[in-house]
Order: sequence, then structure tokens, then C-alpha cells
Amino acid sequence: MEKRLSHLVKCIGTTGFVLATVLAFGQDSLFIMRGTWDQLPEAPQVLRLNTSANWSEQNAILEREADLASTLVIVNADSTSHQWALLMGDTEGITIESGDTTVVNLPALPMGTYRLGLIDGEGSGLGAQSMLQVGLQSDANLALFHWNLCDWETDQMATWSSGTEPDPTATYVPNYFSINEQTYPTTLEDPNALVSVALGDTCWIAVANHGQMDHVLHFHGFHVEVLTSNLQPARIGWSKDTVPVKKGEGLTVQLVANQAGIYPVHDHNLIAVTNAGFYPGGMLTQIIVDP
Amino acid sequence: MSTFQCILRTVVLISTAWLATSVYAQQQPPQLFSGMEGYTFLPDGTPVPIWGYGWIADGFITLPAPLLTYTEGESVQLNFTNPSPESHTIHLHGLDVDQANDGVPGTSFLVTTGGEATYSFEADYPGTFLYHCHVTTTLHLTMGMYGMVLVTRPDFTLYEGGPAYAEDVPLLFSDLEIATNMDPVGSYPFHDIRPDVFMVNGQSGSQLEAPERIVHFEPGQPLALRLGSMAYSRVVCQFPAELNATCYMSDGRPLPTPFDPDALEIFPGERFTVLIDPEPGWDGSLPCEFWSMVDETLESVENIKIRDAALGVTQLEFTGAKGYPNPAREHITWDEARQIQVWNAYGVPVADIRFEQGVLDVAGWPVGTYVARIDGGRSVRFVVTE
Repeated sequence: MEKRLSHLVKCIGTTGFVLATVLAFGQDSLFIMRGTWDQLPEAPQVLRLNTSANWSEQNAILEREADLASTLVIVNADSTSHQWALLMGDTEGITIESGDTTVVNLPALPMGTYRLGLIDGEGSGLGAQSMLQVGLQSDANLALFHWNLCDWETDQMATWSSGTEPDPTATYVPNYFSINEQTYPTTLEDPNALVSVALGDTCWIAVANHGQMDHVLHFHGFHVEVLTSNLQPARIGWSKDTVPVKKGEGLTVQLVANQAGIYPVHDHNLIAVTNAGFYPGGMLTQIIVDP
Repeated sequence: MSTFQCILRTVVLISTAWLATSVYAQQQPPQLFSGMEGYTFLPDGTPVPIWGYGWIADGFITLPAPLLTYTEGESVQLNFTNPSPESHTIHLHGLDVDQANDGVPGTSFLVTTGGEATYSFEADYPGTFLYHCHVTTTLHLTMGMYGMVLVTRPDFTLYEGGPAYAEDVPLLFSDLEIATNMDPVGSYPFHDIRPDVFMVNGQSGSQLEAPERIVHFEPGQPLALRLGSMAYSRVVCQFPAELNATCYMSDGRPLPTPFDPDALEIFPGERFTVLIDPEPGWDGSLPCEFWSMVDETLESVENIKIRDAALGVTQLEFTGAKGYPNPAREHITWDEARQIQVWNAYGVPVADIRFEQGVLDVAGWPVGTYVARIDGGRSVRFVVTE
């Protein structure tokens, strides 16, 4: 009873703090939430970063201006503590206890796509990781899309959900692959995963790989230019139809829609265009260019 | 008109018609077909079923599929026929063709059993590209339905204003899982495909040491290594310094800044063009590592042999591999052969014979193409006619 009361007081305090902070500084917040991922038939319990206390299966995207330091309010609405980090190779995070609220500093960053989220085993294993877009919204005439890539092993997720740690020596056999926590064909229902533009448009796509393995995206019909990359800076400026996105990488590509039609984009590691082993599925979406 | 003139005119007309037919036939673009009844052989001689493409004129499929070569600026008409029991397509990977010619079921078109199609596109950019079937891609590709496309320039420069070179060397990396190829129907689920054979141009291990697999060079005459991957693995080519390698292109586009690679990573579907101008007298290997994309395990290292031509180009040994007559009606002979294993076009073993004279009796065999493996070594094809 005492514990419940304490939790209630914490929640009320947190809500008040968040409201006051937003009113005072215009800051946005991320809530660490636990819920059911109904997208998969197994309906696993997962963790997500949501913009409010309302559950969403998709992680929220954060935006910041380039070269400008800022802060972010994080609310741990989960029942256990977690480690938070701006994932740029950081190995040490900030511990946020269950029910606690923390304000974290985001450094001034050059334009690009970055990763942030939970780095504790359960937090990352259950998918509470997302994308920080820096300086990508500056041109209002440029359409911007985003792809949070991830691979999942449902057995591993079930183990984390049960409160135990998976056997680190067990072979990893991912059986789901997602874009924005959607698997094909549901990716086509996500306005950020489906790239829908008009002939002649130029758009940017922010891509982050939160999975446990590298992925490689093949664009049908187009070459894209690599604009930013945190792990493969030597490839900035390359024109590619097949773009590796390494584990932990954030990159941005530019696409010029120079021909009309419907063109797939998919992981060319072909185990990743499946759902539970069945083709087609997984990390597959489309570019639709209206004439 | 005299009788002589009449005969002469007739002869001229018939000759003209024959010549016109011959010339027309020569001008017809080559035609690909798809098949699901081929074999590749592992270094230990084990036959592994493959699906793939081949030239109609050859009548058999290969692993990888035939190299397609075009000239920059060419308007390409690629004819394709599918006599196999399943639908297939050709996806022209990296050539940025329009939706209609993209080779993707649902957004483009399928070529069903017995069907024919023509893929049309402009070869606008010189470079290294790929092609593969896009039907149930995870399965059809691992079964072997892929090949390389080269778009080159007549002046032997990589691109306008780019470096000159002497010769193209296509090197296509791929892999397969034996269990999947042995039982494609029972290979679901696909997410756990884990290759266990790792290949360069369809060859692995000791097969890459065969004389015809050795890349020969002449100092001062750069070779263009056309590197492409249809593997599930991440390939890392470890360039020895003596190769004097420079990477100029990726995915059919010039790089903003060429670089000298030490360890060049090639992910599934990627291509690179690397010029090498090895040190005179060099005789060594280009090690190519195959890493699991899932858990970063080093699965295999395949070595591409590179040798100064001045050290001698090994003459190919065909002893025992050339059977005669071919096509055959009653018997076919391989001199000095002691053992022959034969599969028919459906991959069914039809003979496994040890003999003294190297003569195989094929009288009464069904007409068709057969694959023979001589003394556990080279595989050759022969045809039985009526």
C-alpha cells in the first residue's frame, strides 16, 4: 500500500514537473513506456519512447536545430529502472528509477541523424531506442522521412519480459525485421516509412539502425546521395543504390525523384525481408513517385 | 532469259535469302532462359542443385548466371524465356530501370511458366551492376538466380574523365546453404538461412586454384576488378599493398574521392570497381573474408589467385574432360578416364561407372543434355542425339 502511494505521489509529481517544464521552456518529453506490440502475432511485451503517457507501438522521433545545445525531459513510466544515453558510442548512461523524471542535456550537434534511448539490456532488447534528427527540418520545402531499423528475436524478447537475462552465448536468430516498428506490408501504412513524393521532388530520409546486426538498404529505381553518417563518414557524398547501415549508425540520404512509379526499398540481406521466416515481409517499403 | 541465267538467279536469290537469314540470326540479341534443374559442384565433388539463368544457345544454366555486357549509352533489349515450372523475373539491380522493367512481382510483371518477355532499359551509366530473380527473392536468389552486368566504355576508361585500364575482371561473391539448395520446398522458414558455401564466381576453396581461375596481369596494364556481392555475408577483401589497388567507383557511380583500400567491405547487393596494377613478378592472393551478417562470425576466407603473366600462364589441362563425339548417338569416349558420374537435365543420377577404356554407351538414352563428372574432377556437358 505504501509502495503504491509512493508511486502515485511520484507520478503526480512527475506530471506536474513535466507540465511546468514544458510551459516554462517549451521542452518536449519522452516517456519510457511498457506495452504490447500488437503488430507481431506473438504480441510481445516491449518498451517504447513515447511523447506522452499514452501508449504507442512506435518510438517517437526527436528534432533539434543544428549546433544548438538543448535539454530533454525523460519520464520513466516503466516499473523498473533504466539506463539512458545519447547513443553516440556512449557506454555510460544515466540511471532513471521507476517513476522518476530526469532532465538530460543534449549537446550542440552538427546536422545529421543520431540515435538515443535506453542502453540497459532490457531497455535496448525490448526496443526503447529512437532517432534524433538534428538540423534536418530547416528547409520547409524539403520532404523528410525517417526509418528506424531494427531486428528482433521473439524468444529473446520473451526472456527479457520475464525479468531474466537471455543466455549471452546463445546464437542470435532474429525472426522479425522492422522499419519504424512496422513490418511489411504494414510499413506501407506508415507515412514516414512509405516515401510518397511527386516527380521532380527532392527528399531526405533519416535512417537509424537500432538492431543487433548490420543492415543494407537497396533502392530500386534510384541512386541516393549519402548526406551524413556517424559511423561511415568516408561515404558522405557517395551516390549509391545499396546503402549499408551499420549497427548503431545514423545516416541521412537525399533522394531525387527523377522517374515516376512505384519502387521497393528493402534490406538486401534477404533474411530480413521476411516475417517469422515467410517472404515477403520485414524491412521492406516503397517509394511512390506521382507523375 | 537463258536456262543458265535462270539457274544463276535462283542460286543468287537462295543465297541472298540464306545470308539474310544468317545475318538476321546473328543480329538477334542473345536470349536468357531460366532453369531449376542445374547443378554446381563443391570442391569435394558433391553436386548441389541450383536454379539459375543460361543462354538459350548454350542450353544449360550456370552459377553465377552469364555475364551481361553492354556499352554505355546502349538501348538494351534483354530477351528472356521461362520454360521452368515456376514464375521468374529479372531485376536489373542498380540500373535504375523504370517500374515496368524493374522485375518485381506486383509492381512490374512476372514471367510465368512457358512465358517470354523483353526487358528494356538505357545503359546510361558505365559501371558494375547485378541481376537476379525477384520472385520469392530469399529463396530464388540463394538457389543461384543471379549474375553480373557490366556497362563499359569503348575507350577502356572507367567513366568519362576516369582512369584507363586494360581488362575487366568480373568477381561476383555469393554464398549458399547446402540444406536449402538440397530441399528448397522444405526450406521454410527463411529467416534462419545460414550459408555454408562461400564462392567467388561460383567457385570456392581449392576450385579457385584451378588454372582458369587465376587472374593474370602484365605490369603497367591495370586490371579493373569488378567486385559485386549477391551473398548473405558481408565480404571483406584484404588488398595486399603489392596490388597497388585504388577504388574508383561504387554502385555504378564514380566516387567523389578515389581511395586506396586496405580492407574493402562489400555488403549484399553492393558493387565496387577497383583498379590494380600489381608489382612486377607478383604471385599471390587477394583474400576475401565472408562474415556472418547476423553474429559477425568469420565464416570463410576465399583466395583469388593473382599472378604476373610473365611467370607463365598455366595451360589448361583438359585431359579426360573432352569427350568425343559430342553430340553422341551410341557412345562417347573420354580418353584415360576411369570413372564417370552422369546426371540428366533434371538432376537425376543416371550413371556412375568405372571402366577401362573410357567409353560410355549411350545408345537408347533419352535425347537431351547431360552433365558428366570425370574422375571426380571437372564437370562437362554432353548431348545425346537421335
